[in-house]
Amino acid sequence: MQQTFISTIKQALGRSQGSKPAEDLFTTEPSEHEKIVLTQIQQRTSAQHNANMSRLREVTGPLYVNLHEHSSLEETAEAIAALIKEKSPEWGTEKHVCRWDHPLINQLKLESLPELSGIPIHTTPIFDVTDQARPIPSSQKEQFRAQVEQSFIGITSADYCVAATATLALRSRPGQSRSVSLVPSIHVAVVKEKKLLSTLEELYTLLKWDPAERKEGLTNNLSLISGPSKTGDIELIMVHGAHGPRELHLFIIGEEQ
Amino acid sequence: MAGIDSEKYKQNAHKAIADPVLQSALTSLQGRLGPATKKLYNTLPEGQELRKIAHQYRRKAIDNLDVLLETLAENIRSHGGQVHFAPSAEDAVEICVRIALENHVRTVVKGKSMVTEEIGLNDGLEQAGIEVTETDLGEYIIQLAGERPTHIVAPAIHKTREQIGELFTEKLGTPYTDDPPTLTQDARRALREKFLTADMGISGCNLACAETGHITTVSNEGNIRMATTLPKLHVAVMGMERIVANLEEQQAILRLMSMGAASQQIGGYVSYVGGPAAPGHSDGPEQFHLIIVDNGRSKILADETFREMLCCIRCGACLNICPVYGKIGGHSYGSAYSGPVGAVVTPLLFGINDASDLCSGESLCGACRQACPLEINLPRMLLALRSKLSEGDPSWQVKPARNQERWLFRCWQFVNGNRTLYNLFYAVARKAQKILPTQDGMIRKLPYPFNGWTSQRNMQPLAPKTFMQRWQEKQEGKK
Amino acid sequence: MKHTPPVTLFVQCIIDTIYPDVAEAMVKVLEDLNIQVSCPTSQTCCGQPAFNSGHRQVAKAAACKFIDLFEEAEIIISPSGSCVNMVRHHYPELFADDPEMQKRAIKVGAKTYEFTQYLVDVLQAEDVGARFARKVTYHASCHLNRFLGVDRQPRALLSHIREMELIEMKDADRCCGFGGTFAVKYSDISEAILKEKVDNILQTGAEVVTGCDMGCLMNIQGMLSRINASVEVKHIAQLLAER
Repeated sequence: MQQTFISTIKQALGRSQGSKPAEDLFTTEPSEHEKIVLTQIQQRTSAQHNANMSRLREVTGPLYVNLHEHSSLEETAEAIAALIKEKSPEWGTEKHVCRWDHPLINQLKLESLPELSGIPIHTTPIFDVTDQARPIPSSQKEQFRAQVEQSFIGITSADYCVAATATLALRSRPGQSRSVSLVPSIHVAVVKEKKLLSTLEELYTLLKWDPAERKEGLTNNLSLISGPSKTGDIELIMVHGAHGPRELHLFIIGEEQ
Repeated sequence: MAGIDSEKYKQNAHKAIADPVLQSALTSLQGRLGPATKKLYNTLPEGQELRKIAHQYRRKAIDNLDVLLETLAENIRSHGGQVHFAPSAEDAVEICVRIALENHVRTVVKGKSMVTEEIGLNDGLEQAGIEVTETDLGEYIIQLAGERPTHIVAPAIHKTREQIGELFTEKLGTPYTDDPPTLTQDARRALREKFLTADMGISGCNLACAETGHITTVSNEGNIRMATTLPKLHVAVMGMERIVANLEEQQAILRLMSMGAASQQIGGYVSYVGGPAAPGHSDGPEQFHLIIVDNGRSKILADETFREMLCCIRCGACLNICPVYGKIGGHSYGSAYSGPVGAVVTPLLFGINDASDLCSGESLCGACRQACPLEINLPRMLLALRSKLSEGDPSWQVKPARNQERWLFRCWQFVNGNRTLYNLFYAVARKAQKILPTQDGMIRKLPYPFNGWTSQRNMQPLAPKTFMQRWQEKQEGKK
Repeated sequence: MKHTPPVTLFVQCIIDTIYPDVAEAMVKVLEDLNIQVSCPTSQTCCGQPAFNSGHRQVAKAAACKFIDLFEEAEIIISPSGSCVNMVRHHYPELFADDPEMQKRAIKVGAKTYEFTQYLVDVLQAEDVGARFARKVTYHASCHLNRFLGVDRQPRALLSHIREMELIEMKDADRCCGFGGTFAVKYSDISEAILKEKVDNILQTGAEVVTGCDMGCLMNIQGMLSRINASVEVKHIAQLLAER
């Protein structure tokens, strides 16, 4: 089928009459401008970091993102614990929390906080990190799925956070479940300040040209999240919490002094 | 709901204009989204120039569709996805139904997608005994009401909150309310159940990226992420033109699309899907299928006059500014595609003769082109469609329509070609107009075929002398 | 003073047959600026109604006649943005398969100007000495504004009219619903659009509505007259000729 389909297109494009495909369709090297953008990211001064932070503070409000700034892991963990205590579940009465298995989130050691004792915190299963090809048994998958459905708060990190649009970039990896940022009513994202980028342009330039990013690629699922779920489908009146999370809490951890 | 119902354009328009609820919804929609989008274009870091550049990206992609589609298919397969090619709407529906039946699918959750409306996918699945739930809130409301979307991006804007309240009470059994947050919550509860239990999720594709091998989906509600993350199967349907070569181009167009569609810098949720869940990942679908649909697009591709139409990314910005859409709403167009984009793409996909009123029923004001994030020249294509209608074109199977009009224009050509005849014609008309009823010196009623003019308008009568006569007399006086 | 070439008038058929005063006013403005004016009196319609209705062969015949008649002119000016758009942009399109004619069409198009465009861009005359002590609102016609890119010019001319108060209407650049034969064939839609325009005009409290296209103004006048509104309709040339 593919062959016939493509040959119809070739015919429509007049390929048999000598119209040739362009040779420069796929870029293999960054443009001069993109090189400048890459350098700009690498050599970011603390003044520029501060500017990004101020920009983020400006845009989060209008986008209904709750911004929390803390200077240490401990403070962040305490603040998240307070949030878990304060908020009520949307669908049931029991409080469950799910989270990524991710170095930064692991370092928060939420499970060891006394104020959260009694509240189950479900961690995304990783069967064997060294052997990604080995699938997670479906029973474990199903168990975690049920835990995510039960959870009212999902905690993730993000690869990057774009200051200009409060956009979080999340890629799917082992331990980094897609549903944790989606199914619970409240999405908590924890990001180190150094993961802040100025613009979407910087994000895409990195994803495309940074050697490490290029190697990993976009993965099978890259999600860019800018704010909580929202809809204007009834009389154009903005309502938050259509299908995805009703609230998005963004925790930025500054560099420790 | 494949097929169109465009021959009732005039009657539908008449009804829409007389509907005060619709009129106020359309005014509110255009008052908010149109100006907001225009303002956002000014904030582009690259400047307005990006719109022209993005148009070129799209054009280049269309001119190289064969290469791009094969690259996309190869890359998606390398990620573990399956790619299907569907020459016709029927083929696309059949492929999707087959995938569903092979996997014993009983329930489907769907994200909003124009191409699935175009090919009538829901009907096909339902005929196979599969339950399909639209999950975009607007689409869900429309589905419950058994109606057609009235706007590409805001499908239910023609319904008031009271109507939606009554609909939910009737269909969902929820207590009546006209409070949008409560209504949204009612839908959220009903649909959450569907998301968590569905066997298959269906999405469209806003714009695929060939070099990375990803489709993209954009939503603000998060419904598409739900539909493409939770069920075991994800089937994406894309019109074959929705693709660009590389990520730089993709992101530029995506940002412009977000501005056009919802006056945003970027949609709330943008997902790049390259395949099923990778091994070792704890969630995501086990199978990912991409169905690439032609359904008349290759015919558009082959015609240089209309190839530009394939650059369109269906953001709906032209609907938010068009004075005609602003009065008649989406249903009048009788097709999934409404507004200026519908006026061009519906005739091209479904038949120019069948949708002749769509080609002709615009004032050609050009606001659509100005509002389009890619500055697609819709007025030019409307004019080209009209010439096909008036003069016929076997390559599009268009029979010359409007015999009476053609005859009138031929007579006009004869008169217009000779100033003496022209003067004679107007001398007669000047005499004849004296019998017409007047109001303060203005004509109140014109005869057929000009009677439409005077239903709510008067007409200034012909002057006693043409300017040319006056000029000639003046020149002779000077001598 | 540098030599100002004589201009040749291209008078829109609606003005020629229904509103000859508009062309008279334009001639007055030009003559007051010491411009030599000529007018080929065998001219007829440029063919736009036929073109917009898709009858390209008919439009082509009109275009051929126009080109033959105006080819020798140094500068062609017209008090109608829509007709100038036809000549400038659509004539070359009509002769896409006839390179010889297309060349001629492009040449004629390049020296065809809309009246205000000519005054401001070519003559650099923003103040033509007009005086008009009324409240005026301006409708920015679509073809003029969007297809010719002429908006600054009429506004500059209006801003220099003595004693005149210009009141901006809401959505001045939104279509009035005219669209040529559209107004007759789809009169329901046309009138609904027009009604919005008329409401916006009335809201300004202006005594006069002006513009650069008699097609739109005829449409607007038609409804204003039907509802017995007292707002007068005047082409911009008529305001510029007031002393």
